[in-house]
Amino acid sequence: MTDRTPPTSRAEHDGAHRAAPVLSVRELKTQYPVHRSLVGRLLGQPKRTVHAVDGVSLQVDAGEFVALVGESGCGKTTTVMSILGAVKATEGVIEVNGTDIADVSSRDMLSIYRQMQMIYQDPYGSLDPRFRIRRTVEEPLLVHGVGSSKRDRTRLVSAALESAGLRPADLYMDRFPHELSGGQRQRVAIAAALILNPALLLADEPVSMLDVSVRASVLNLLDTLRRERNMAVVMVTHDLSTAGHFADRIVVMYLGRVVEEGPAKEVLRNAQHPYTRALLSVVPQPDPRDRSTPQTLTGETPNPIDIPTGCRFHPRCPMAQEQCRTIDPTLARPASVSISGHRVACLLAT
Amino acid sequence: MSEPILDVRDLNVWFELPSGRELHAVKGVSFALGAGEVLGLVGESGCGKTTTILATMGLLPSSAEVSGEVRVDGADTLSGGEDSVRAHRWTDVAMVFQGAMNCFSPVRTIGDQIVEPMKYHGLAKGDAARQRAGELLEMVGIPASSAQRYPHEFSGGMRQRAAIAMALACDPKVLLADEPTTGLDVMVQAQILELLSGLAQSLGLAVVLVTHDLPVVAEVCSRAAVMYAGQIIEMGAVDDLYHDSHHPYTRLLFAATPSLLGDDVVASIPGTPPRLDQPLTGCSFRERCDSAMDVCATLSPALITVGAQHSAACHLNAVTSDRGTRVALDGDVTPEALQ
Repeated sequence: MTDRTPPTSRAEHDGAHRAAPVLSVRELKTQYPVHRSLVGRLLGQPKRTVHAVDGVSLQVDAGEFVALVGESGCGKTTTVMSILGAVKATEGVIEVNGTDIADVSSRDMLSIYRQMQMIYQDPYGSLDPRFRIRRTVEEPLLVHGVGSSKRDRTRLVSAALESAGLRPADLYMDRFPHELSGGQRQRVAIAAALILNPALLLADEPVSMLDVSVRASVLNLLDTLRRERNMAVVMVTHDLSTAGHFADRIVVMYLGRVVEEGPAKEVLRNAQHPYTRALLSVVPQPDPRDRSTPQTLTGETPNPIDIPTGCRFHPRCPMAQEQCRTIDPTLARPASVSISGHRVACLLAT
Repeated sequence: MSEPILDVRDLNVWFELPSGRELHAVKGVSFALGAGEVLGLVGESGCGKTTTILATMGLLPSSAEVSGEVRVDGADTLSGGEDSVRAHRWTDVAMVFQGAMNCFSPVRTIGDQIVEPMKYHGLAKGDAARQRAGELLEMVGIPASSAQRYPHEFSGGMRQRAAIAMALACDPKVLLADEPTTGLDVMVQAQILELLSGLAQSLGLAVVLVTHDLPVVAEVCSRAAVMYAGQIIEMGAVDDLYHDSHHPYTRLLFAATPSLLGDDVVASIPGTPPRLDQPLTGCSFRERCDSAMDVCATLSPALITVGAQHSAACHLNAVTSDRGTRVALDGDVTPEALQ
């Protein structure tokens, strides 16, 4: 029997005394209209839409580290931007600590932002070059009116820098971003994101711009902090090896949809979706004896304006069958998979 | 190895800084590779890998002082300055620049731009050149008819293929590829790497692959040189570098690289590389090294042979190998280490 639980159901999740998830996204759709010129409009060109995120559901618990993986254009960054409210979701529900952010007035969004912070990819671009480190890290306190006095805020800034591994904090406080290395800058960004003690941290490719030798330290830092603070982390990455090492759960996206998700090691060792398998087969391995036999997919991800019918992966799928052209598979746990929480959107995974 | 196609010997590059200080960016780098071989040049940002290949192409700005020898198929290219380099650039040694896929002019067709080096070197023009552009595109897996399309009509992966086609326009013997897959998705990365190793095989092209990504090197290169602070600190077969590393930096770099299914702890390397605009004594890696000894603070280790086609610059090897001891402590580069 196949277990075709709808994606929103919590039937598969275990634990009776489970607290409400920190983040709950249900059937999120984010679309952008394609610009038509005046002439185009007059000539009656049809209205077209980019389906950047096309029905994504995601739950993240306190203390959980989730990696959102996929190729560029799969909608992973748009998903995070929609959660953050930086991009307006077209449809669907986004709840942060039980509050539906669509119900929150823009004035009250400040209280949501206090629970949810973001780290960007480029630590060279995300810090204001004219701000001393002290000011960058202090800014969230000023915005949210935290800390009664300058001295109080300085104490908090100092503690945040030290917990981000910049010790002693005094050494960094009055420096400018250009005086710091890439890894140190990303630690400053982390300090600024964590100073309000958020329940949820969103990170978009947080280490891809950093040197290999410092990547691990930044990721280990995130890992330690989420354990210490029971903070939920959603990390967008294209690097499956990193996801496997640091995340509890991996969510694989393709063309605006989740095609496979589950516990990190399970997804890597027992991938069910042909797309996940193909992705895994092309990840280069550091040990030359583990050279992969790449299953390179032909072509590139189709554009999200004209999404293929049926399973959206079928035009590139090496296993596609007739039914895949017409039936759009839902995310469910195949009968052959015993690990709870491992779900796949593929008609052939049974 | 048969006669090397590209032979770089004792290459040094200094940049003069506005402050008047000199920055020694590349220090005595030597490597050689034969036809059909793909050599990896790995290291982190600022280690001198890009400067090394730009110097090989004679493309450094005039503020750079370069010493050493670059031989392409036996011919000395650097000694005569720009005049002698120009005759070899693109016809013998071509390059895929970092971010090359974003370097096409948006207002000219891809075909038009691929034809340009052929025209410049007087190798082909008119219909013959256009025909050749089509063949080059086919060679990198793009239909010849796409020559009439503009860069914005190509995806990132296709533009990178077109950049490779452009590098092959004048039938070079050596291809220098600077981070050719950075910024591309894993799937496209795999396709480009497959293309590069295929071209090396089919055209007998000597390829130098510059990257910060160890797994990429492990995937496509037979040999690799690891650079740190302007020097090659270890060079050998990729299998030896991974399984029988003779330099702590190589070992730590691999330990910092997660593998897909491994459960090993991924550990960062503490500290930062030394500043190259200040005089260095001893080993450039000693401050970050987990096995530094007293001698490392005073003597710079030379690159010595530690195995078949395997050399490393670390005093630990001198301690463990009787034969290497004197050589290493003399601080001389042994000729056999360069083979």
